[in-house]
Amino acid sequence: MTDVTDVTETETGTDSGGAARSGRDLSSAKDMIVCEGVSKWYGDFQALEGVSATIKEQEVVVVLGPSGSGKSTWIRCINRLEEHQEGLIVVDGVELSNDLRNIEKVRSEVGMVFQQFNLFPHLKVRDNVSLAPIWVRKKSKAEAEEQAQALLELVGIPEQADKFPGQLSGGQQQRVAIARALAMEPKIMLFDEPTSALDPEMIKEVLDVMKNLALSGMTMMVVTHEMGFAKEVADRIIFMEEGQIVEVGTPEHFFTNPTEDRTKLFLSQILA
Amino acid sequence: MTAPTNQASSTHEAVSQRVPLWRDAVVVKWTAQVATLVLVLASLWFLATQAGDNLTARNINIGFDFLERPPDIQLSEGIDTHPATGGRALWVGMVNTLRMAIVGIVFATLLGVVVGLARLSNNWLIRRLATIWVETLRNIPLLVQIIFYFSVLAVLPRVDMDTGPINGWLHISNKGLAMPRVFIADGFYQWATVMLVGGLAAHYVRRRRVDLHNESGANTSPVLWSLGTLAVFGMVGLFIHPLFGFIEPIMGAVASLLDSLPILLPQVLLSATAVLLAGRWIREFLAGRRSAVGHLALSDDDYFRIIFTAIAALMAVTVAIYWTGLSSWILNSGSDLFRVIETKFNVDGAARPFDAMRPDIVKPGKFANYGINGLTMTVGFAAVFFGVVFYTSAFIGEIVRGGILAVPKGQTEAASAVGLHRSQSLRHIILPQAIRVILPPLGNQYLNLTKNTSLAIAVGYSDIVQVGQTVYNQTGKTLPVVAIWMLFYLATSLTISVVVNYYNVRMKLVER
Repeated sequence: MTDVTDVTETETGTDSGGAARSGRDLSSAKDMIVCEGVSKWYGDFQALEGVSATIKEQEVVVVLGPSGSGKSTWIRCINRLEEHQEGLIVVDGVELSNDLRNIEKVRSEVGMVFQQFNLFPHLKVRDNVSLAPIWVRKKSKAEAEEQAQALLELVGIPEQADKFPGQLSGGQQQRVAIARALAMEPKIMLFDEPTSALDPEMIKEVLDVMKNLALSGMTMMVVTHEMGFAKEVADRIIFMEEGQIVEVGTPEHFFTNPTEDRTKLFLSQILA
Repeated sequence: MTAPTNQASSTHEAVSQRVPLWRDAVVVKWTAQVATLVLVLASLWFLATQAGDNLTARNINIGFDFLERPPDIQLSEGIDTHPATGGRALWVGMVNTLRMAIVGIVFATLLGVVVGLARLSNNWLIRRLATIWVETLRNIPLLVQIIFYFSVLAVLPRVDMDTGPINGWLHISNKGLAMPRVFIADGFYQWATVMLVGGLAAHYVRRRRVDLHNESGANTSPVLWSLGTLAVFGMVGLFIHPLFGFIEPIMGAVASLLDSLPILLPQVLLSATAVLLAGRWIREFLAGRRSAVGHLALSDDDYFRIIFTAIAALMAVTVAIYWTGLSSWILNSGSDLFRVIETKFNVDGAARPFDAMRPDIVKPGKFANYGINGLTMTVGFAAVFFGVVFYTSAFIGEIVRGGILAVPKGQTEAASAVGLHRSQSLRHIILPQAIRVILPPLGNQYLNLTKNTSLAIAVGYSDIVQVGQTVYNQTGKTLPVVAIWMLFYLATSLTISVVVNYYNVRMKLVER
């Protein structure tokens, strides 16, 4: 029963931080993402069944679960790439509804990194990064390009600025995608399986960038299968199955002492 | 080792054993190339001499002298409805075809893009209508459509002395549409010189405004500014254009200079150009074949290309030297050109650049008709125009739709995720990528449209085919006219292809 209390405490935000980042107390931080009873259907198939969770400022949350469990659908609902049909999603105090202005506002505050990178192939790396600041933030071209160069420096590929995405390796492309998302100076970063399309030797370079981003205090929500990353960086892990949240807890709790049978089964399969 | 090759022979015992000629890859390849060339040249020679002999035997004259003779032709419309020579008549036909093709391409593209976007619209009704448009128009033969539009337009009221809707200004009847026309007058060329300067100024202003935008990020509307500059020059030019009268003596001097030049000069220039071009081509070709460390490896094909380029240059030099007529023609037409420009600038200072005329209606005999003043769009033109534009717009619409659908969904999502609006994402992300898919088939549609204008013959629009047919009916010179047709369509189509390919190469995605 104590474990159950632990989970509820985590959900209400009284937990005192992840194992690897112990000492972080986010209980007084403000709520960045609030989901209450979020449901979504594709035809007859229910992809999300009343998902509720709150993510604090500067918190790093990793979402785990077998494929088809609704992880990606959920994360895509948070910047309205998918529309939820029931429930409430509030991002930094702005509710996602049919109000186009709210959607715009949320999207300009939330950065997203995709599994397939989705870089713009007809634009140079520098223009990929500076496009949105120029057209959405109305920055001058010089300023936006300076910022793009600084961000490419941050993700470790300043020398690739004049190349086209097609000329880069997968890992480099994903780092450009991260720089592109950061260029809008978002308050929240969403990662939808950022390393799943990468060759093994490139995964580390992307995870390193994400780790540094987490250390810098970015609020992050990460859908991934990288257990090492989850253990090391996450403040909290949310385990999903069949469109529902099954278990929530610190990495310590989750990997060493999971409560739910389904979580145990999942862990035994991936850690075997 | 039963079949030692050249390379292997040095390391094996069969050093002395040479490869027989018929098994030597190099010999076989060269023989085949030379044989093919000889065969092609021989066939062409045979066909040409045979055709010549047969035509002489049947007493068919394939000369082009009819181009110089006055024809008995009156054209329904064009830059000159009573051409003085057969050549002039065909030229009017060509201009009419090009006019139809250019106007048709512009409007078919605009309409096609709208149709393509409409087929992807979120609005059910618009989507349905666009589908009906496409499916109806592309499934009815173009000839049928042209005749249909013609017969619909032909039921408009007959023209008479008080045809409206605004008599003396705008006339609509079964003879077509007539409206006032602005045309260029004597002072135009001086005014055009002002506009040339204005164009340079507008270009400079645009660049300045773009720089300013890049520095400050503010919206500096460079296009509006450059158009404004042009407009200012256009207005001012209406008053100051006589200032450019000084060009007249300069043009005369250039013409006299060209007259006094020896024929040797163009001969030398032509030969030098041919040799230099061939030399540059070969040099660049060799540079392209050289590897990064400077190693040069040429295949047999490469040798062929180099040799044939050299032969072509040699032939060009021979032509330039022995065909003195070419060189004197270049000098003469150059001097003629400058004399013509000289006369264009030889005008009274008060001459206006533009003039205007209202359409009129004349009744010389039993039937009223539109006079020569004013701008008239005939029913024939309208029928062909609607035909090719509507028909091609259906195909272009499908091409545009396909091109947009070919851009992966992830691109739209990424654009939304970084906060771009729908219109921004369409302009900066979707269309630039779709255009790569759209361009090659779009070029094909332009070629189709241009060739399809030859269906104008069905409704009597004076295009090159219709005029040509009248010419050979009168003169009996079928083959020469058909040859001119083919050369004309070939040249037009190749020009379109070159332009489209140029953009195609420029738009290519860079990958690895």
